[in-house]
Amino acid sequence: MKEIVFAGFGGQGVLTSGLIVSEIAVSNGMNATWIPSYGSAMRGGTANCTVKFGNGRIFNPAQEKPDVLLAMNTPSFNKFIDTVAPNGTVIVNSDMVEYDPKVREDVKYVDVPCQTLAKEINHSKGANIIMTGVILKSIGEFTDQQAIDGMNAMFDKKGKGKFKEMNTKALKIGLTQI
Amino acid sequence: MGEMIKGNHAIAEAAVRFGARLYAGYPITPSTEIMEYISWRMPEVGGAFVQAESEIAGINMVIGGAACGVRSFTASSGPGISLKQEGITQLYDEELAAVIINVVRYGNGIGTLYSAQCDYLRETRGGGNGDYRPIVLCPSSIQEAVDLLGVAFDLSEKYRTVAVLMTEGALGQMMEPCDLPEFIEPKRYPWGFDGKYSYKKVGIFERDSMKEAVAMNEKNAVIKENEQRWADVDVEDADYVFVSFGLPGRSTEGAVEELRKAGHKVGIIRPITAWPFPEKAFEKVNPNVKGFISVEANATGQMVEDVALTVKKKFSDNKPVYSLAYVYGIPEMEKIQKDYEKIAAGEIKEVF
Repeated sequence: MKEIVFAGFGGQGVLTSGLIVSEIAVSNGMNATWIPSYGSAMRGGTANCTVKFGNGRIFNPAQEKPDVLLAMNTPSFNKFIDTVAPNGTVIVNSDMVEYDPKVREDVKYVDVPCQTLAKEINHSKGANIIMTGVILKSIGEFTDQQAIDGMNAMFDKKGKGKFKEMNTKALKIGLTQI
Repeated sequence: MGEMIKGNHAIAEAAVRFGARLYAGYPITPSTEIMEYISWRMPEVGGAFVQAESEIAGINMVIGGAACGVRSFTASSGPGISLKQEGITQLYDEELAAVIINVVRYGNGIGTLYSAQCDYLRETRGGGNGDYRPIVLCPSSIQEAVDLLGVAFDLSEKYRTVAVLMTEGALGQMMEPCDLPEFIEPKRYPWGFDGKYSYKKVGIFERDSMKEAVAMNEKNAVIKENEQRWADVDVEDADYVFVSFGLPGRSTEGAVEELRKAGHKVGIIRPITAWPFPEKAFEKVNPNVKGFISVEANATGQMVEDVALTVKKKFSDNKPVYSLAYVYGIPEMEKIQKDYEKIAAGEIKEVF
């Protein structure tokens, strides 16, 4: 079972990023849970969700020890860095987050300037999709095609299929960052 | 396996599919998505949706729907359910069937938005005046919430009582795959008002409360005998048995699996009906069990009282009952395992 925490400011698309990963897992026959930040944090402008997926039963859907942390802003990095599992991966939005890698020396850091990369492809709202690609590559559970198909199916269901080409482009950029 | 769906949305869609055709209520976090979904979904199937001016108005509209023999329900949370109590006890008194969904949030008074199980005693004892007991069903997954909603409608009509789906804030907000039920054809039930004054007369002065009490106790006894529901794992040879429901129950099931792997002889009873409490589940337990451990998301430990009463009834040797009350949220599997080790080592004392 894999556990991923997606964290950032409201509007950075972390909840959607989590949803994409959970949908890809389910469309490939796995179990998945998606649970959003919930409680007073909802009102404070920060957002996060925890996704767990795997072939067995998922007992506790809540955040425990993530194998992967996506930190889209500095408060999220600081809030969750201590919870990451030993040998876990921390994927950092290097356009926005400054951090001292010494806070955890037993995890792997992946710096991705996702906002810059998104602007380069004229898809400024696609930074979260790029990061989704990075996460998926880091986990290594799904092929690139499974990832692309799962994401597009999710947006189709939400009636947002018209951005397919741009989103696919963004996801592919993420998939090549590691 | 079904598609990813949010707990509150799954419950709302399932209610429509189970033939519910009246919803009246007032929004409150974390239950609001049920009402929001129903607001556009109910008109699509020709049902009635009312955003009432208050919770009290809403529950009285549900009484109206039930009195007409229509599957009627409402949803709310914590303080919103408090406001509905006079209507809920009235539904029970008039033997009208309805389903109440409590998406439980933590706290006294206005409380908080945290997911919790702090309404256990209120729901299982009947939160309004009088001494009625609604049937209380407590799911641990979105699929189970959907399935139990169908059970709630069926049982409320079978026994002409109130059925409560006691879910949790986190279960309402989370998503996981879920298969939705097939549509059933809604029907008008013959016990509804027929305009001919043939319905049971309820009034303050002209009623035989002694006779009604006998009938109520008989009904409760039948429900207790026939409707206990639970899941259990590895209780037959267990040294310690956990008792836990809902999302904490699900986490405890994971903790039990991990503890077994580490060589600890533990088991779990996960109540699915909180009332009637699944006393029969305790009959399967190892007679030499060393103790029972209640795991709950509230501050004081509430279900632990039902565990202790049941242990007193089913075992003669005064077995210890421990309380792990984690206040709110879903306890981590690792935390439950560590606290179990403290209990086994005598560092946490029994409460009963």
